[in-house]
Formats: sequence, structure tokens, C-alpha cells
Amino acid sequence: MACNLVVDGIKVELGSCKILDNVEISVGSGEMLAIIGPNGSGKTTLLRCISRAISPASGEIIVCGRPAREYSNREYSKTVSAMLPQWPSGFSMKSYEIVLMGCRNQSSGVWWEGDQELEVTRAALGVLNAMDLYERDFDTLSSGEQRKVLIAKSLAQRTGIILLDEPVAYLDMKHKLEVMTVLRALADMGKTVLVTLHEIDLASKYCENVVVLSQGRVVAAGKPREVITSELLSSVYGVDALVKWDEEIDYPVIVPKTRRILKGAVSCLM
Amino acid sequence: MHQQSANKRLRLALYVATLSIFFCVAFMVSIMMGTLQLSPSAVFESIVNPQSDPVARSIVLGYRIPRVLFASLTGFVLGISGGVIQTLTRNPLADPYITGMSSGAALGAAVAFVVPFLPYFAVPAMAFLGGVSMLLLSIFLAKKAGAGSIGFILAGIAVGTFASAILMVVLAISSEKAHGILYWLFGSFSTSTWGDFQIAFAVSMPALIFALYRARDLNILLLGEEHAAQLGIDSRRLWILLLLSSSLAVSVCVSFCGIIGFIGLVAPHMVRLVIGSDNRFVLPLAGFTGSLLIVIADNIVRNPLNPIAEMPVGSVTSMIGVPFFVYLLIKKGKSFGM
Repeated sequence: MACNLVVDGIKVELGSCKILDNVEISVGSGEMLAIIGPNGSGKTTLLRCISRAISPASGEIIVCGRPAREYSNREYSKTVSAMLPQWPSGFSMKSYEIVLMGCRNQSSGVWWEGDQELEVTRAALGVLNAMDLYERDFDTLSSGEQRKVLIAKSLAQRTGIILLDEPVAYLDMKHKLEVMTVLRALADMGKTVLVTLHEIDLASKYCENVVVLSQGRVVAAGKPREVITSELLSSVYGVDALVKWDEEIDYPVIVPKTRRILKGAVSCLM
Repeated sequence: MHQQSANKRLRLALYVATLSIFFCVAFMVSIMMGTLQLSPSAVFESIVNPQSDPVARSIVLGYRIPRVLFASLTGFVLGISGGVIQTLTRNPLADPYITGMSSGAALGAAVAFVVPFLPYFAVPAMAFLGGVSMLLLSIFLAKKAGAGSIGFILAGIAVGTFASAILMVVLAISSEKAHGILYWLFGSFSTSTWGDFQIAFAVSMPALIFALYRARDLNILLLGEEHAAQLGIDSRRLWILLLLSSSLAVSVCVSFCGIIGFIGLVAPHMVRLVIGSDNRFVLPLAGFTGSLLIVIADNIVRNPLNPIAEMPVGSVTSMIGVPFFVYLLIKKGKSFGM
């Protein structure tokens, strides 16, 4: 199960636009790494590359010492799971049916799911405190609940490497903490966890390392306490903020200074 | 834990058993009814006893059984392929004809009608050729466009519209043969023979078995090709194999009996409205629903009490199926997720 992930100088171009430019990342077993960065900085594209949904123009993704492109779909699905943005399908499915799909990578039954798969499905929803969603139609869930089901589907794949694209988006404060705690626990038990996050404080609290992407490049990487500074937030996000690590509660405090609103620009919307 | 999967299997078995009983009754009634009404024992007699009434025997064995068999097979193929293609395109509005295949088949058949001195099997042969070439053309165009399932649907519409346009021209210049062409377009089982059934059966059975066998992976394809690949499925290959096999199955049936609409779109939805989107349920039950609808419709068409002779079987399937479908839609449409 223990598996490390190395992203070795990948480039992705869309037309003339460089989405990712020479990105290098390395995550080891037992580590949880957060990728942060502004909208459009290439976070999701990076995860899509690692999940093999798109292939980079150059560079290599190395999973457990082997290039990702050499794996078969089935082998790869047992090594890397990914929670990525999803289109609705137009057909209603129960939540557990979706989580159960995650088990398909390990299942031997072509037609019926085994009892073990149902057990894994329950465990995945259970660990996220989402058993109450089990029989609900996925389409009728709130965005936050849907997010939990999709995380559970990824966990049900039981892979050594887990990629999650904004796992805590749409979730309330309690559920955010719940999900991050579960992911942290999985990393502590030897999994390799790679998440993209907009919540810089959560990233700093739960991940031993963060990588900061901006315009497709890695602009900073390392321990959150060293990387997340008010200079960085100002240069990457263009936000002036106060950054302080509260030693008493062992938690980063990030207080943005309110941006001046351009009255002229807004007035035409009134 | 154990309970849940056992319940699921039991439910599927129950549904299949119920529908197949309905189907067997409809099948039997179909063979008994017609211009010559036969009792169940007379039907049985003519099947097993070579010395029985030769007229009844030739009607039952040479005419009614192949006709009803072919109609049921077509219903099965349309129901299952409809479910498969809706899943592959992830579009509830799709049906087996989405590839432009039906328009191609119609065009092929029309050309065969118009060209003089062709042998009797030219119509199905040309229909099959027309259907398959439009199918391949739309797959090719969709690949070129590379816009996923929406690109595929649009390519099918483009190809189908083009074939229909040519069909209109053929119809316009074929004044005295237009009725024959139109009659073929409506769909009919009146000319079905054992030979037709054998050919269609041989082509469509492998396709149906393949689709049923991969029903669980079809469910996963509902997440999209990319996500299915991440779950370890050879999704690109599976997608194209399922599309080709189920389209071929429909193509061969349609080439013999004409364009039978509605079943492929609606039979899978009827099942979904009752039991959800799991293809392991949807596909087999849609097959039974499709054949049941077609056999009943064909029964009405053949009924001597029917005032309109040569009523198109396709419109009868719609007339009996639509009210039932609308009832389901209103009653359960909220859970439809559209």
C-alpha cells in the first residue's frame, strides 16, 4: 500500500496557454500535501494529470517508482484514486451506488458486488459520518453532501495514493474539520494524500507540507509555517493579510485586510 | 450486509419472473389469434403433431411463430440497446437511432425499392448497409470532433438529417413506389420469416449477452469515460464495443422489420421510473418491456376486428405505450433526476 508520488517537471498546454509549467512535486507515504493557489493557477489540472485524465505535454509522473503511463487502467485504479469535478449524468443514482463504484477496482465479481464491497462502502460513508445519506438519491443531496459521497467513493477505492480536488468545498465548518481529520488519519496510517485547498488555515494545520501554485508554476513549497507568510499572500493572491501562528491553540490565524472596493466599477451593477 | 445483496437479487428475479409470465401469455395469445382463431390445444397440437390439420400447422409454424418470435426479439433488442445507448451518451433523450442509423436504413431500403429488378432480399440488405454506414460515419465524425458524448449526439443528428434529406428526394421521385417505402418506414412484422429470425438472432444475441454481462461497468460509465477509467475500467474500448454491438443488433432487426420507434427510448425509462438506474435491472427488464409492448402491438395490428388494415405497428406501440409512460412519469417523475 505504501507508495510515493513524484511529479517530475510536467508541462500542460491548452492551445497557446500554458496551464502547468515545469511543475515538480514529491509526496511520500504517510504524508499529506496541500496544493494551494488562486483560481486558475492549475491545481485541478495538476490532479487531472496525476489521475491520468489528461497527459502532460512533457515531463513524467512517477508512481511507486514506475511511470504512471505504464500502468494499465486496472493497476492504476488500485494505486491512485482521485476525487475530481464531475458532470451530472442525467440519471438518478443512490449515494451508496456511487460509493460502491469505487470498489469496482478491487472487485472480482463482474455482475454482483461482493459482501466485502458493501462493507467497504458502509465503512467509507461511516468514517465521514454520512451513513444517513446511504439510500438517498445523489441528485437530491446538497453540494456539501454530494462532496462527502464523492470523497467516500475515493476512499472506497482503498488506494495508497489519494488525490482530492477541494475536498472541503461547500462543507460547513464542522464537516470541513471532520473531512480533514479523516484524511490526516489516513496519511498517518501510511497513505499518500494530495489535496487542493482554498482554505489556507486548514492546509497549514493539517498538512506537513504545502505547495503554492501560481500561473502554472510552483512558487513556494515547504512547511506551512515557513511558506505561508503575508509576503506570499500578497504576491500570489494580491491580498494584504496578517498571518500569525497562534501557539496557544496551535493554529494559523490569517486575517485579510479588507480590499478597497472600486465604487465606480460596482455602481454600474446597481 | 448479506441481506442487502440477497434482497437485490431476489427482487431482480421476481421482476424478471413476473415480466416473463406476462410475456409468455402475450406470446401464446399472439399465436392463437388472427384471421383463423386457434385454441391453445390446437396450437400445441400443430407444433408437436406432424399429422395435425395442415392449414393450422402451416399458419402456426410457418407464419405466426416466426412473426411473433421476430417481434419479441426486436423488442428485446430495442429495449436493451436503448438502455445501453442512453447510458453511453449519458443522455436520457437518446435512443438506438441516435447515430443516424435509422435514417440510413430507411434510405437504403428506399433505394432498394426504387431500383428495378432487385431480388427480394435487397431491401433488408440495403437497409442494413445504409444503417451501418451511417453509424460508422457518425462515429468517425464524432471522433474527429472529439467533443465527447455531446459531439457524438450532434454528429449522429447531422448524419441522420442528411440521410433523411436524401430519403425525401428518393420518395419524391418514386411516385408509384412511395406507398411501399412508407409502409416499410412504419415498420411491420407481416413478412417476418424463420430465416429473418435466425439471422437477427445470430447477430443480436452476442450483443445482448455482452451488454448484460457488462451491466455493472455500464453503471460506472454513467460517471463518464474519464471517471470510469480511474476506477479501473477499460472505458474507451468498452464504450466503443458496446456502442457498435448494440447498434449492430438494432440495425439487423430494423433492416427486416422497418423503423420501429419509441420502444428504444421509452422501455428503459419505464423500468428506471419503477426501480432506478442500475443497469443490471434496467437492461433485462427493458428487454422484456420492449418485447411485451411490441408483441401486444403486433397482436392489435393483426386482429381481424381491427378496422384499419395494415395499421403500422410502430404507431400502435406508441398508442399503448405512451399513456402508460405518461402515467409513470407523472406519478414518479420527480425521482427521475432530469
